Amino acid sequence: MTATATATPVSPMLTRLAAERATGALLRDHGTLYLVDGRVVHAESPESPGVDVLLTAAGRLPREGWDEAVDRAGALGAVGRFLVDSGRLHDGELEICHLGAVFDAAFFALAPAGGPTRFRYGVGHWFGTVRPVDTGAVERETLRRRELLDSVWPYPAVDRAPVVPRPAAPGQPVGARQRTLLAAADGFRTPADLARLLGRPAFHTFLDVRRLAAAGLVETPYEAPPPPPPPVPAWIGEAVATTPDPDIALLRRLRDALEAAL
Amino acid sequence: MANTETALKEAAQIEGAIGAALVDYTSGMALGTIGGGKELDLNVAAAGNTDVVRAKVRTMEMLGLNDEIEDILITLGGQYHLLRLLKARGSAGLFLYVALDKNRANLAMARHQLKKIEADLEI
Repeated sequence: MTATATATPVSPMLTRLAAERATGALLRDHGTLYLVDGRVVHAESPESPGVDVLLTAAGRLPREGWDEAVDRAGALGAVGRFLVDSGRLHDGELEICHLGAVFDAAFFALAPAGGPTRFRYGVGHWFGTVRPVDTGAVERETLRRRELLDSVWPYPAVDRAPVVPRPAAPGQPVGARQRTLLAAADGFRTPADLARLLGRPAFHTFLDVRRLAAAGLVETPYEAPPPPPPPVPAWIGEAVATTPDPDIALLRRLRDALEAAL
Repeated sequence: MANTETALKEAAQIEGAIGAALVDYTSGMALGTIGGGKELDLNVAAAGNTDVVRAKVRTMEMLGLNDEIEDILITLGGQYHLLRLLKARGSAGLFLYVALDKNRANLAMARHQLKKIEADLEI
């Protein structure tokens, strides 16, 4: 298993760009990865909240503070640096928030999808470099996240559907984070909407929703059933054909007994 | 004022430290690691210890204990594993994880140092 996983990287193009220490933007269907010298410095995806949302929606930074930073340092490609130098954020805080946003967007950008992958050499991002990450680490984390979601509750439909809360069983504990999420779920908002509203990374919200669905606190939408199992082997057909008539009376008694027991 | 890299370097300098990681316990991702080497895969440790932290946080809620977890100590035959939960201003739940060689480590000192690292990190 592990051998196959390492043999098939998430994006062969990313591996190649890392090897040639490329600088530029890798554009994919669900997002963009920005590289400097073959390392990931930024990522964006329409499906995940950006650093601005994470900082402002959660109330850490007023919207005006963010806008001013973009106005003053955007052209220089150093918005992140400016936020720290102007005393709006601490160094560690910026790094953690930015890394969270980068891995979140990369999870979507590197999602298996058809469509072209393009690379524009030399393109940078206005946020500026905070802490570059190896492409290998980004790919590994993306794979780990996919597996984690499926190990919690293997129904990907809950990631995209509106979150519909279900009543908790008497005495069933619900964590503080999850309570906030359930309170914001109005039956129309999808996990991505809730992430933006609460200023949380999208993956974290997907994970919370899958955990809630697994605990029966959120509806799991109906998914198309898996493809039918292969037809029965010929020998079973033959066995049925050659078996004498089933004992109908025995089957009736069995059914009645089962119904009585249930 | 420190960034995550200096925080991890300081953690690695704790007497007896084998490895350290800064972990986001909602996703189980190590935001940064130091040391570890062959004997301790810190990314695996980060993801696994996330379950420990989540279980304890949930238990506290079930018990209705209106308190906070400062740190969690796991004592092995030859190692101490210390998990220090960081009080972050944002919504991110983070902990600092340090594995220590039991023969060389001073537990009280290590806890004290982790507390200081948290204070310096200012998140």
